[in-house]
Amino acid sequence: MALLRPTTILLGKELRSEFRTRELLTTTWVFVLTVLVLFSFTFDPTQAESRQFGSGLLWLALLFAGSLMLHPSFARERVNDTLAALRMAPIEPVSIIASKILANLCFLLVAEILLLPIFAVIYNLSLVPILGPLALVLLLGTLALSTVGTVFSAISSRARMRELLLPILMLPLLAPALIASTEATRGLLEDPPVLSLSWTGLLAAFDIIFLTVTWLFGEYLLEE
Amino acid sequence: MEQGTASAVEPTGPGQRTGAGLHAAETLGVALLLGVAGYAAMFIAPTERTMGVIQRIFYFHVTSAWTGFVAFLITFVASIAYLRSRNPKWDWLAVSAAEIGVAFFTVVLITGPIWARPVWGIWWTWDARLTTSFVLWLLYVCYLLLRTLVDEPERRAVLSAVLGIFSAFDIPFVYFSIRWFRTQHPQPVIGAGGSLDPRMRSVMLLCWAALLAVMVLLLRQRYRMEMLRHEVEDLQTDSARRGEPA
Amino acid sequence: MLSGLQSLMAAYFAVWAVFFIYEITVSRRLGRLQADVERLKGAAKR
Repeated sequence: MALLRPTTILLGKELRSEFRTRELLTTTWVFVLTVLVLFSFTFDPTQAESRQFGSGLLWLALLFAGSLMLHPSFARERVNDTLAALRMAPIEPVSIIASKILANLCFLLVAEILLLPIFAVIYNLSLVPILGPLALVLLLGTLALSTVGTVFSAISSRARMRELLLPILMLPLLAPALIASTEATRGLLEDPPVLSLSWTGLLAAFDIIFLTVTWLFGEYLLEE
Repeated sequence: MEQGTASAVEPTGPGQRTGAGLHAAETLGVALLLGVAGYAAMFIAPTERTMGVIQRIFYFHVTSAWTGFVAFLITFVASIAYLRSRNPKWDWLAVSAAEIGVAFFTVVLITGPIWARPVWGIWWTWDARLTTSFVLWLLYVCYLLLRTLVDEPERRAVLSAVLGIFSAFDIPFVYFSIRWFRTQHPQPVIGAGGSLDPRMRSVMLLCWAALLAVMVLLLRQRYRMEMLRHEVEDLQTDSARRGEPA
Repeated sequence: MLSGLQSLMAAYFAVWAVFFIYEITVSRRLGRLQADVERLKGAAKR
């Protein structure tokens, strides 16, 4: 597939440039942690409540962190107009977006992996028995966040008030993904844990549909 | 009912006055249809057993949501057509339909609480239809917001078209996810569904027809406005190029 | 607390009002744009 090789190369570039400084990663991780701690001040979680609210808090925190941290995705290409250089390369324009979606997915997943043990400790949840299904839900949910966030980063970076516009555009659109991720995770935190096929299926469908729409219409976002 | 203003783009003359007259006639016709539908909803439809008179809000509350969907569908189609053809007329249609869709969902969000208050004693309930309407309302308000934040017309059209397409694909997800969520975490429901008396169904369809007519009327007016705005922008660019003060 | 009938009246009024206000706003804006077009075209002719 003519898409695969340039996407992989660009993905490598994205990952290398981030891991050089790791500033995005650290900032995201600290932000989500802070949000989780602050949430604990708004109510006093007992074990039972943690199972009820914990999933919602986790996904909300991820959503907010994502909406801030996905902005640089396209914004930093503006500094030296590197996007123009990328566009001139003999590759499908969609590879540029695809590589950024995958890169953002990696960043967010790394942040989540670092986050989970702390989340489990703070809210007294036992995550080890459900690690497999939880990983699946995290992957699907984070992919939704990354796809929509990256595409909207491309949109908002070409408008005014871009830092504020990205969360504003993203959050309503991601509402179904938030609901599905939260409900799927909540099911896993129950006793006994249950992997909801309908919610997981909805998440998967969400990812497939929006990745397809990005593939079909993404190139228009990279125009001059 | 209100008088329409000029609808043609020609300079002052008989054409403009005919355009204005035609619009006034259309507006009157639609207002009449709306009045007939309202009368039917108030007096012809049978009274519902459990909720009584207040249930008659249903005929416009639900049909406004349906009409809003139709408007957003128009935005979707127009967005795709714009990206394909780059003809600005599709962009004008897309933004007009989005704005009118927001107007219709505003009606849903206003009539919902007015209905909920006497029935449940609360102003707001996170029932499936109201929540979905709220999210969709937000979605397309964001679309309109994006448009105000991009100055260059062609870039604005392209970015909004992509956003319009994404928003349209989100609609079924919003609908189903909120519905499933509400079956698991029930809340007071505004106007439970259930089977519809055939007379109620006819009145419902009549109200929907009236609202669709309102939609078309508002859509055309808003489209003309967008078209004129485009013309003003062109003329201003021309005069700036000639070095005149705007 | 509003009675059922009063709420119904309020709702129907709200429905009509939203469309009425929107139509008026758009029509007035349209009129102003029409005036702008004529003004700019007149300036161009001179």
